Amino acid sequence: MCDLFALCAAHSHCAATSLPLFAARGRRNMHGWGIGFFRQSLPVVEKSGDRVFRDGQLHGSFQRLARVVSSPIILAHIRYKSSGKVDECHAHPFTLDFWGQSWIFAHNGEAGAIEPYQSRHLPLLSAGSDSARTFEFLRDYFADAAPRRPHTPFLQILQEALIELIRQYPGEYNFLLSNGGFIWAFTNHRQFLLLKGSQKLEEALLLTTIAEGLSPENWQQISRQEGTWGKILLIAGGDLVLAEDLLPPAAAAGEFSGRDLPAGLS
Amino acid sequence: MCELFAMSAGQNYTAQDYLPVFADKSRANISGWGIGFFRGGQVHIEKSCEGIYAGDQVHDSFQRLARVVDSRIIISHIRCPKAGHQKESLAQPLSDHFLDHHWLFNLTGDSPKAAGYQSRRPIMGEELLAARVFEFIRDGMEAQLQDWPNLSLYQALAVTCKKLITDYPGEYIFFLANETVLFAFLNSAQVLIYHPPEAQGESLVLTTVSGGLTRDPDHWRAYPNPDRSRGQILIISGADLLYQGHL
Repeated sequence: MCDLFALCAAHSHCAATSLPLFAARGRRNMHGWGIGFFRQSLPVVEKSGDRVFRDGQLHGSFQRLARVVSSPIILAHIRYKSSGKVDECHAHPFTLDFWGQSWIFAHNGEAGAIEPYQSRHLPLLSAGSDSARTFEFLRDYFADAAPRRPHTPFLQILQEALIELIRQYPGEYNFLLSNGGFIWAFTNHRQFLLLKGSQKLEEALLLTTIAEGLSPENWQQISRQEGTWGKILLIAGGDLVLAEDLLPPAAAAGEFSGRDLPAGLS
Repeated sequence: MCELFAMSAGQNYTAQDYLPVFADKSRANISGWGIGFFRGGQVHIEKSCEGIYAGDQVHDSFQRLARVVDSRIIISHIRCPKAGHQKESLAQPLSDHFLDHHWLFNLTGDSPKAAGYQSRRPIMGEELLAARVFEFIRDGMEAQLQDWPNLSLYQALAVTCKKLITDYPGEYIFFLANETVLFAFLNSAQVLIYHPPEAQGESLVLTTVSGGLTRDPDHWRAYPNPDRSRGQILIISGADLLYQGHL
């Protein structure tokens, strides 16, 4: 299973400590790696089809990039192939444009049902994998919904897109999607681990799918609640801004009921 | 009634197309004005107790600031005479540092009871409804996140706003922003939102000014809240309305 990493802060940060730990702890993923970030709202992605960890050594380029990349938002992915070839083109993150913005997307999960999906919009991603088709599906949904922007909240459209995605192409989805200003994270299978204000790693907000986290600190576990179709997180400025359940169709949305709050607060 | 303005963009932007119109349409409010923004992670606020209009001209400083200030988030406030204050320091926006961020806050509304809120950490000693509400929101969010560190900012704000309108019934519209995210809360009247068609993907403008700040009011979408006992929170970042949550 692939692994995901995100760093988010109010100002530019390096992930020089946490990214190597992420790669070391995700070393079982042997089919490529990628790091994505933004420079003046434009996405920059460096990726490779090589193993991120070989013979006890971190990939040299990954190591150097971890030291050098500085951005308020950094995404990374380590790949364990479940679909498609092993090469740089199939490594994550991917980039596509919609709503006049460039987006970076990294995915983890198995969703074979979506592999035959044919996008209605251009450009197409050259990778032949479930992840590439998933990103195109989301891009298409948002492109078609563009006339509803900005008065329909982004989350409402994302929820609609995810319900259609899961209904039409059942599978395991777990992804990060960012335009450089904020990150949307979604999972309907594995859990995310989130840490803010680390004493051992960077002081930014850190998010990963690595089960034990990246440090011996109090990582918050976030996973899909029973009876829901998944969990959606909005992360911006180094904060968890919003955590919403993806409710099955016909359930009410946008109503603050306190259902996500700890007992005693709702 | 005081009037509120906010602009959010994906990158630094000026509000020069909107702030002068905001001033023009709020010209009846002669008791002061303020513009707040972010630069290098710090808050900057320029404010005045002078009228937004002098003769038939928008206040000279306000005009110049409108042209010069650029930031991902800009907040402005024009004070009505009903506010009963003349001091420059009591003009809005207000600012404070909490939850690891510098925050800007501006408010319009009325709640006689809320003026009596006593915080352990007052922003200022003077009687000012906006300061008391800002303190209440800050104290509430801090308390929520201290007790429940895994809450999202939205959850902490929603619980606090619910408590505000329960404990201190009244009419509130406020904008609360750090350098990345803008929250708008209202339990009365409406907030208008505009996405400039010529700036695809660039900015979003919010105001309480009736009819909006462009020639064509149809370009503005109203987010009304007729029920005072049930407010709503809008989350904005960059040029997008990300979420609308009803309390």
